[in-house]
Amino acid sequence: MHVPDGIVPAWVAITGYAAAGGTTWFSLDRIKRKYENPREMIPTASLLTAVFFVASLIHIPMPPTSVHLVLSGLMGVVLGWYAFPAILIGLFFQAVMFQHGGLTTLGLNACIMGLPALLAFGIFRLRYLRGGDKPGPSMIFGFLAGFSGLVLGALMSSLILILTIPANLDVSVERAAILSLLVAHIPLALLEGVFTALVVLFMLRVKPGLLEAELK
Amino acid sequence: MNDIKSGICSGERRWKACASAAALIVITVLLAGSMAPIAYAHGAKLSYEPSEGVEVTAQFDDGEPLSGGQVSVYAPDEPSDPWLTGTCDGRGKFFFVPDDKIPGTWQVKVRKAGHGGIINIDVKEGTVESGGSTGFSTLQIVVMSLAVIWGFVGTGLYFARRRDNARS
Repeated sequence: MHVPDGIVPAWVAITGYAAAGGTTWFSLDRIKRKYENPREMIPTASLLTAVFFVASLIHIPMPPTSVHLVLSGLMGVVLGWYAFPAILIGLFFQAVMFQHGGLTTLGLNACIMGLPALLAFGIFRLRYLRGGDKPGPSMIFGFLAGFSGLVLGALMSSLILILTIPANLDVSVERAAILSLLVAHIPLALLEGVFTALVVLFMLRVKPGLLEAELK
Repeated sequence: MNDIKSGICSGERRWKACASAAALIVITVLLAGSMAPIAYAHGAKLSYEPSEGVEVTAQFDDGEPLSGGQVSVYAPDEPSDPWLTGTCDGRGKFFFVPDDKIPGTWQVKVRKAGHGGIINIDVKEGTVESGGSTGFSTLQIVVMSLAVIWGFVGTGLYFARRRDNARS
């Protein structure tokens, strides 16, 4: 899901940076308005960024290929408006340390993983229409958030990659490879949905206040 | 006098022997050089010449090869149009011989399903610079991960402490 340097044309990378810049500004503005003390969530955001940073190193074999955890849905569920800046920082370190993603495509990757995180945040909030913080609805909406966070990210990256395949490559072969990778992400989406639901359940039991923070 | 004559004679003889030996060596070398190894198979003629080339290995960061990855090789004098295109084999390997008349930084781009990367290969007049890699060892990855994780945890602890101090 991480688009590396040199894969997409420059205008796509620049548009990605513009969109990421706008979304970061919007997220920070929301944080400033909604939180009395915006620093209060920084410890949680920082720890979740660490989890996000390492998650991409955990590979899951999905023959004929392998996929890695992304956890953008979980980021959105737990961090709310903090998710986008946290993902941006996590991606920066992944790109600098492991060349996972790239610096020119940092903005684009932040959109591919950060916007689904915000969608997951929105989906998880829908639980208040169906019973609120009770374990049942929380787990169901947690699952939906984790699942759709990954699916949307995989769809976005596949669409961008398919639309920008360079003419000098064998387009049909590359398109088939991208689509097979997209299909390989479906079991991962289920896995991340279950994982997000379990984390939600755990947090409701151990520290319910943490999930309320994202209500604001 | 005789001694001198015989000395000259023996010198001449030695020179002739040396010259013929040298000529024999030169002829042998020329013959050996001109006879490239040839294999015959039903009238088809195959030959090979050893040459200095570049073998690129493309792997995902979990070690899985980018088998079937599409390769584009860019020469230093034409960075926009590929000089050569091809496909990685099942082990993620691709071999090519850069034109040593175009010295400079050659770029090899490998792509499969939007994954891949670029590696720079320096070619000087007639030689390819020694091998390079864009990856890290497992130990490096572990140490870097731990350092960055500690950075995040430390940041978290710092702000948690400030929060507690503000409350108390």
